[in-house]
Amino acid sequence: MAEDKYKEARIGVFLCHCGTNIAGTIDIDAVREYAKTIPNVVVVDNYAYMCSTPGQNKIADAIKEQNLTGIVVAACTPRLHEPTFRNATAAGGLNPFRFEMANIRDQNSWVHMHQPEEATEKAKDAVRIAVAKASLLEDLIPKSVPVEKTAMVVGGGVGGMQAALDLADAGIKTYLVEKSPTIGGRMSQLDKTFPTLDCSQCILTPKMVDVYRNKNIELLTYTEVEAVEGYIGNFDVTLRKKARGVLTPAEAEARGIVGGGCTGCGDCAEVCPVIKPNPFELGMAPRKAIYIYHPQVSPLIYTVDFDSCVKCGLCVESCGDKKAIDLDAKDELITVKVGTAILALGYDIYPIEKKFEWGYKNYDNVITSLEFERLICASGPTGGHLIRPSDGETPKRIAFVLCAGSRDNTDTGKPYCSRFCCMYSLKHAHQIIEKIPGAVPYIFYMDIRSFGKMYEEFYYRIQNEGAKFIRGRVANITEDPVTKNLHVNAEDTLLGRPIDMEVDMVVLAAAIQPSAETEKTRRLFGVSCSQDGWLLEAHPKLNPCGTTTAGVYLAGVCQGPKDIPDTVAQAEGAASAASIPIHKGEVELEPYFAVCLEDKCAGCGMCVYQCPYSALSLVEKDGRTVMHVTEAKCKGCGTCGGFCPGGAIWMQHFASPQIVAQIDAFLLGGEQ
Amino acid sequence: MAVKKDYKDQKLAEKLRDRKYYIPDSNPEFLKEVEKIGQTPAHMCYQCGTCTGSCPSAPRSSYRIRLFMRKAVLGLEEEALTDPDLWLCTTCYSCTDRCPRDLAPTDAIMAMRNLAFKRDIVPRNFLQTVQLIYKSGHGVPNNDANRAARKKLGLDEEPETTHKYPEYLPGIQKILDHYKLKENADRILAEGA
Repeated sequence: MAEDKYKEARIGVFLCHCGTNIAGTIDIDAVREYAKTIPNVVVVDNYAYMCSTPGQNKIADAIKEQNLTGIVVAACTPRLHEPTFRNATAAGGLNPFRFEMANIRDQNSWVHMHQPEEATEKAKDAVRIAVAKASLLEDLIPKSVPVEKTAMVVGGGVGGMQAALDLADAGIKTYLVEKSPTIGGRMSQLDKTFPTLDCSQCILTPKMVDVYRNKNIELLTYTEVEAVEGYIGNFDVTLRKKARGVLTPAEAEARGIVGGGCTGCGDCAEVCPVIKPNPFELGMAPRKAIYIYHPQVSPLIYTVDFDSCVKCGLCVESCGDKKAIDLDAKDELITVKVGTAILALGYDIYPIEKKFEWGYKNYDNVITSLEFERLICASGPTGGHLIRPSDGETPKRIAFVLCAGSRDNTDTGKPYCSRFCCMYSLKHAHQIIEKIPGAVPYIFYMDIRSFGKMYEEFYYRIQNEGAKFIRGRVANITEDPVTKNLHVNAEDTLLGRPIDMEVDMVVLAAAIQPSAETEKTRRLFGVSCSQDGWLLEAHPKLNPCGTTTAGVYLAGVCQGPKDIPDTVAQAEGAASAASIPIHKGEVELEPYFAVCLEDKCAGCGMCVYQCPYSALSLVEKDGRTVMHVTEAKCKGCGTCGGFCPGGAIWMQHFASPQIVAQIDAFLLGGEQ
Repeated sequence: MAVKKDYKDQKLAEKLRDRKYYIPDSNPEFLKEVEKIGQTPAHMCYQCGTCTGSCPSAPRSSYRIRLFMRKAVLGLEEEALTDPDLWLCTTCYSCTDRCPRDLAPTDAIMAMRNLAFKRDIVPRNFLQTVQLIYKSGHGVPNNDANRAARKKLGLDEEPETTHKYPEYLPGIQKILDHYKLKENADRILAEGA
C-alpha cells in the first residue's frame, strides 16, 4: 500500500529546545547534524520553543517551500502538543495526520538529566524511528458522528441537580437518575450551611422544586444505572426503575385510573403496621414500610419498602379511589439514548467505628457529625433539641474530634483531608453556643483548614463566640459506665501536657469515602478512579470536570472531597462541558479505526469475537462474506489487526508496515 | 551555636542561658540513625500528640514522647540522649497502635536508648536490672510476698521460669555476655560509684 510513497517521502525534522528542558541535557546540534543523514529527510531545523508561533510557522513554511510529505517534531509529549503541531502541519497544507512526534523531553531529557551523552544518543534513535514512521504516513480524514441531543445526570444531590438544571436551561433534555426515592442528597440532611449559616433545606428546596417542574428534566428517582453501551454522542443507558409500589398521577392515568395516583397525603403510612428505622434520619427516627424520607421530598410520592412490607393491604384500602398503590409492582428496565453523561455520585460517611479507640457505636454519647446535623435540625427527630442519646439530657460540654479517620495513613483511616469537617465543626460549635445557654464546645484539632471565601473570618467569629480550641488529636475516649459521661484523652500540644477532659457528648467529624455505588457505576461508564476510590478527572488542573472517557463528566464529591460551593461550581462546569458536544451536534472521532481490506478478507469472522467493543460484524458484499467495521465504535486498539490470519485488517495510523518500519529503524540503527 | 554569656552568679547564668535552636546544634545523622535502628520513618511525624495522649507514662511524669519525636526530626541529639525522661517509656506500644501516620514512636525511643547506651548514658536502675537478670533470669526476681500470694492462688511458689529451672540460667547469661551487657553494666556502675 505504501511502497511507492516511501520512495517519494520528503520529511522535515524539527527539534525543540524547550528552553533548557531539552537543550540543557541533549546536544541539539549533534542531533540536528545526525538527522540530516537519515534517509528521506530533506530539511532539519531547531528552535527554542517549537510550540510558539514562530516555531509553528517554521513547520508551515517548510512544508510549502520544500514540498514535504511528512513532519517530525522532537519535543515534549503528544499528550501536550500533538494537537498544536497537527494544526501547524495543516496550516502548511498537509494532512494533519502526516505528523509524527518524537518524545525527547518527558521520556528522555527529564529522566536522563545526569547522562547527557546517552540522552543525546537516545534522542537520535527517537528521531530516526519517528522519521521511519513519518515516511509511511497516509492522509486520514476524521469521521464525524451525530450527537444525541439529550444528556444524563447520575445522582440527584445538589451537584447533580445543579448540573441537570443548567443542561435543561440550555435547552437540552436531561434525565436525572437518583437511586433513592427523592432528590436532595446529603445537603438535605444538613441543618445549616457554613459560613453564611443559611438553612440548608430552605435554599435547597426551591432547587428541588425547580428540578421537578422543569420541562426539560425527566426525573427518575428510585432508579439505578444497569448498563451502558456506546460512545460519546450515542450512549445507550439501561436503567432499572426499582419497584416503587406507588403510582404517580401520570402513571395512574396511563393505567386508566382517572384522577388517581399518589398525592402524598400520607394516609397509607398512617395505617401501615410495619415500623423500620428511617435511613434519612440515620436510624434515629422511625418510618413505615410505605414511606417518604421527610416532608419536603421531591417528587412527593410514597415508596413501598418491599423488603419489610408484609402485604397486609391496609394501605391499599386507605388509599381508596386514588388506587395509587400496587403491591405487585416489579422492577422495570428502560433504555434511554443520551449524548453525554455527568456522574455526580456523592459520598458516604467512613464507618468510624473502625477506630475503636473512639468508641463510636460502643458508647451511647459518641455520635458522628451527620447525626449531630439531624439532632440539631428543627425538622429532625428531636425537633432541633440536641440531646444525649444515653439519657435525653441536654449536653453542656461537647467535644468535637476533627480529622476523625482523615489524614490517617493506617489501614483504618483515609490518607486524604476530607476538606469540609473543619468548617462544619466550627458551625456546630456556633450552633450549640447559640442554642444551649452555658454550653462550651471543645474543638480538638490538628490544623484548622479555613481556606474558602469568608471561611477564616468564620473561624475568627466562632473563636470570638467562646469555642475552646485544643491543638491535639484525640488519643482515646473512655466512658464512665454510671454517668455515661466521656473522658477524652489527648495531648494539648501547645501546652505540652496530656489532658483527660470529662464531657457530656463527643461529636466525631468522620472522614468521607466514595458512595457505595461509585465503584459499580464508574465501571459501567468506563471512568477511572485514583487509589483512594475518588473518580479520576481528565487533568487535575486543566480539565477537572472531564474524564478520560469522551462524553462522560464529573461533578461534586465523587471526584474528591469538596464543600457545597465547590460542588455547585464543578457541576456548572460539568454541565457546560457536557453541553458542548450536544450544541455542536457532532463529534469528530480520531480516524484510528480498523479498515477491512475486502479483497484479502476471507470472512472467517474470528475477529468479530476478538473485538472488545463490539465494533465488528460480518456482511454480505458482492456475493462474498466480509467483515465490516462500525467506525464510531472502534477504538483502534489493534486486537483484530494483530490477530487477522489473512492480514486483511489495516489499522489506520498504526498499520503493520509503519510499525515494522519503526522497529527496523531502531534495531538496524538506520542501516536499512 | 549558643552564645556564651559569662555571669558570676551560676543560677542567673542558667536562667539567662540562650535557649534558641541553632542549625549547628542539629546533627542530621541522628535522625538517620534513629530511623535505621528503630525501622520507622520518624521524619513523617506531624506532631498531632496522639502518642502523648495515649501514653500511660505522660500523666504521671514529664515524659513527652511527641517531643522526643520532634527532637529526632530536628537532630537534637544531645538534648534527646541526655534527657532522663528518655527512660520513662513503658514500651506499652499504645502510641504505635494509634499513630495516624503509622509510625512506631516506641521503636524510635528504643533506638534513642540504644544510642544513649553506646555513650554510657543510662540510669543506674536499668543497669541494676541487667545485673539482676544475669543473676536470676528476672528483672524483678520472686520474693516471699509473691510466693505467699502465689500459694494462696493455688499456684506453685516458683513460676515456670529460671526460678524453677535454674539449669537454663547459663543460656541467658551467655546471651548477655555475647552483647557485653553485664560487662558494661558492671563497668558503668563501678565508674559512677
